[in-house]
Parts: sequence; C-alpha cells; structure tokens
Amino acid sequence: MAGLIPDPKSYLGARLAVLRRTQNSDGGWGYFAGKSSWLEPTAYAALALAGEPAADRAWKLLSSWQLPDGSWKPAAEVQVSSWGTSLCATIAMVRNEWGQPLQSGVKWMVGSCGVESNWLNVAAARLRLVKQERDISLKCWPWKPGNSGWVEPTVHALVALKQASAKISSSELRSRVQMGEAQLMDVRSRDGGWNYGSPAALGVDLPSYPETTGLALVALQGRDDLSNDLGKAFDLARRQMGETPSPMARAWLTIAMRLHGVKAEELKGDPQTDLMITGIEALAAPEGNYHVMQAVHAGGTA
Amino acid sequence: MSNLPLAGQTSAVAVVKAASYSKDLADAMMRGILECELDVAGKTVLLKPNFVEFDPNTCINTDVAVVATALEVFRSLGAADVKIGEGPGHRRDTLAIAELTRYRSEIPNFDDVFVDLNRDDVTAVNGFAGRDQFYFPNTVLGADLIVSLAKMKTHHWAGATLSMKNYFGLVPGSIYGWPKNELHYIGIDTAIVELTKAFGSKSFAMVDGIVGMEGNGPIQGTRKQAGVLVMGSDLAAVDATCCRIMGIDPARVGYLQRAADILGVTEESRIEQRGEAIAGLRTNFELIKEFSQLRLA
Repeated sequence: MAGLIPDPKSYLGARLAVLRRTQNSDGGWGYFAGKSSWLEPTAYAALALAGEPAADRAWKLLSSWQLPDGSWKPAAEVQVSSWGTSLCATIAMVRNEWGQPLQSGVKWMVGSCGVESNWLNVAAARLRLVKQERDISLKCWPWKPGNSGWVEPTVHALVALKQASAKISSSELRSRVQMGEAQLMDVRSRDGGWNYGSPAALGVDLPSYPETTGLALVALQGRDDLSNDLGKAFDLARRQMGETPSPMARAWLTIAMRLHGVKAEELKGDPQTDLMITGIEALAAPEGNYHVMQAVHAGGTA
Repeated sequence: MSNLPLAGQTSAVAVVKAASYSKDLADAMMRGILECELDVAGKTVLLKPNFVEFDPNTCINTDVAVVATALEVFRSLGAADVKIGEGPGHRRDTLAIAELTRYRSEIPNFDDVFVDLNRDDVTAVNGFAGRDQFYFPNTVLGADLIVSLAKMKTHHWAGATLSMKNYFGLVPGSIYGWPKNELHYIGIDTAIVELTKAFGSKSFAMVDGIVGMEGNGPIQGTRKQAGVLVMGSDLAAVDATCCRIMGIDPARVGYLQRAADILGVTEESRIEQRGEAIAGLRTNFELIKEFSQLRLA
C-alpha cells in the first residue's frame, strides 16, 4: 500500500486505520486490542500494511521469534514451533528477503508433516489394519509438530512453498507442493468445499466450512487442470458468501475469488474488534494486498 | 476399602426438572445451586458453555437460554465478576459461531463479557498430561470458579460428552490448532481426566439436559429431550449421574472409570441425590453400535 492512502472511511481505509492504531509497542498485534502480541494477527497486519513503517516494526519483532530449527514460535512466551512459520516465510518473500532466515524456514516446512503420515501408520492403512477417512500417504501440514495435518496449515505452507519455488529449486520442495495439493483434493468434502480437514467421521460425511473452502481455493491457485473441478467449489463459495455470518470466511472466500480471477462481491461493514480478522479483511479489499497470497508453483502444474 | 483418595466419600448432585428453556429456568438453576451449597460470593466466575460447532438441524450447543440465565444467576449470587469463555474446537471465527448460536444476539453485551479462549493470552503450566509445559488461557487460570455449562450428548469417541469433556474448550487453538488434535494424541480419555485433574477442584458443573443429543454425537446426532439440569461441584459425580439418566453405565465409560475415587465419586450409592430422584428420569439416549455395550442394565 506504500504511496497510496485509501480513504479512511472506505472498507480498506477503516481497517488499516484500526491496525495502525492498535499496534503494540513491541511492533506486534494481539488477537484483540490491548492484548499481547501473537504471530498470526501480527503477520496478517504486516502483510496488509506492507511497505509501511508499521510493517517493518512487525517484521523486526517476528524475526526475533524464529527458533534455531528454522521454525517460528507463535508468541514471545510460547516455546512451540508453529504453522505460522509459513506466514513468516510469506512476509520475508514479500519483503524480498531471501536470506538465511527464509531458507531455514523453508527447510523446516519441507521437513514438517502430520504424524498420521509416518511409515507405520501408512503401512497399517495399506494393510487395512486401520480404517482411514483419507489417504494418509499424502503428506500435509499440522498446526504444530507431533499432530495430524489439517487444511489451514496446509494451505499456508503451500502458498509459502509455491512462492519460494520461484527462487529455491529443490525436488523435495516440488514434491511436497504436489503432494500437498493432492492431499487437499483428497480431503475435499462431498459438497465440493473443505472443512478443517476430514471429509467424514466414522463414515458419515462432514460438511464444508466457508472459511476453509476459501483457504483451500487460495492454495490451489494455478491448477488450470482442476478448473472444472474447482468450478463446483466456486459455486459453493458464492452460496457460502451469502449465508455465512463470518467476516473471516467472507474475507478468505473473497481473496480466493480475486486470486482465481473470479468476480467477487463488494465487502461491506465496519471493522471487527478481532484484529486477526481485520488484517485478513484488509487483504481482501479490492485495493488491498491480497496478491501477497499469490502463489503459482514455479514448476507449473503439478 | 480401596486406598484411592476419594474412596468412601460421598458427593452431592442436584437434578432439577426443567421441561423447557422458559423463564422458570432461573428458579430451577437457583434451586440446584442452593441444593449443592455452592458459595459464589466475591468470586471471579468463568461460564464455559459448549459451542464447539453449529448446525441448525440439531442441538450441538449449550442452549443460549441456559447461558444467559446462568450469567444472571451467578451475578445475583454475588460473584465479583462473571465472564463467558469458550474455545470452539472446529471453527476459527468464534464470534460468528456465537452469532449462529444466538449468544451474541440474546445475551446482553455479549462481546463485553465473552473471552475467546482459543486466542486469549496464555501461561505455561508444568506437568499437564506428562508434558513439561502446556499452555492454558489466562482467563481460565485466573478464574476462582469455572462453571462447566455442558450439553448432555453422546459422543462417538468418548461415549458421552458432559461436564468433564466440555473442558476440551479450555485448550487454546492458537497453539494446539483446530481441532485440538494435541488432546487426541494425549488420548481422549486421558485428556479428559487430566483437564479435570487440573481444573476440577475449582469447578461447578451444570449440564443442559433439557434437550440433549443422542446417536452420532457430539455434532451429528439428533435431539433428545431429557428435561433436566444436572448440577454439582464434583464433575465426575455429575457426569455419572447424567450417564444414568441417559441410560449409559458410567462404570463402562473410560474416562469415568479412570476418574472414579481419584477425581470424583461415580458410584450411585455414594452420590447424594438432591432435587429429583433419577429413577423416574431415565430416558435411554440412542447409542451408535460402537458404544452399544455402554447401555445401562
């Protein structure tokens, strides 16, 4: 947004004003004003305000949260590797910083996967010793190490790794992107969208959610070979846009539509008290920074 | 006699009839609280309802009338502060779920009294489920009293979800994700027991069994009217009583087996039943075939 100042009364301007006003003195944002800084709201705010000094201060804070293994922790006091590593990698690339912090973050992401895909579980599933609702040989990403993979962390890892593939060439990276995309298609709900990551429980279909449908579509950019298949998801997304009360869901659905070149409805309403959602909404605005989520695998269609 | 910490002890559980979510709910709730001799004066109280998810076609959540009434009742009993807190297990936009469940529209000033436990500030505790560090929301750690406002439901992995299982919503998604998969890897029964161990001593349970859920709970089951509120300070005793009302044998529910005489009293003869006798209230909740062996004889 550097150089362009949106009308403070506009959808985007109102949100950027809230973000500028609520930045903590350490450079981060809490999930809500006045609370401690967390990676997630800080990352979305930094992306929404990219190019501004506020985003530089945010990045300085986030940079201090990178752990020796290359991953990022979710907050200053929380000593746990986090899926938010993907968001930090995206910020680094938006800032055109391709140095060691990004390289080690990408390496960590490439090596991270849900524990359901370890060789023992995969072997048990192949021998039909354990019934699985999805193909666990397709590795995806967990919220934190030691857990199963789910849609949202997988989406952000795919976006970051596809962006990284522009300058980082690695067969392992390419393979994880291809496998991650295949995994998303595998866990799709029968209604054409996505929920948190399981299409069924005990054999009963689970419905999709609007927010995760939007997110999954963001991750599946550039898959022209899937355009017919994804058409059904966009039909669903349009219905979900009209039905959901969630501003977060509407923002992700809108970002997905913009990135896929699908006409998106105008977003309306006042900013939320929820600063994470405010950041995502700012990205989703027509003149917002939604393009920071643009991610097409450099190797082309998987 | 067993040498378990609570062997031989008794616990009080109040069962109060409530045919519907009507305006008489406050009376019913107050009767149960008084029967259990709960002292609320001067305490900071956290009401923990269940709104893990929303589906208009069934009844996943603690009914809004129960939550709104509890807020008023605990205020009227002299609590220093009453907050509502939940960390939904599946959905990221907590306030949108609160809107769908009508909490936001029907609970006055909901946004001011509500804390999203998924995204609260946190503090590490040592020793939870054998972990060196496990993080819990500051609102949970700072509360003098947590009221588990659970829904009476069957559960396709745990058998039944009641006041103890309801505490899965105390675990912050900001660290452990959606769903709270860390708890599944700890083991569902173990996690339920550990959460009760961590917070049971400063808890009061109030289970919304006015309309519960049977069959493929906790999300995809169907409505089942039981017409009761079940209350008490011993979460295991409350859950065991709920099970008996649901036609489930608590001695066959894994987490209640493990909690018995360590965290609470589950044996019927040692639960001081206050209010309604449960004999006439039993209404068998349909069980999925994987849990048919839980049926109470």
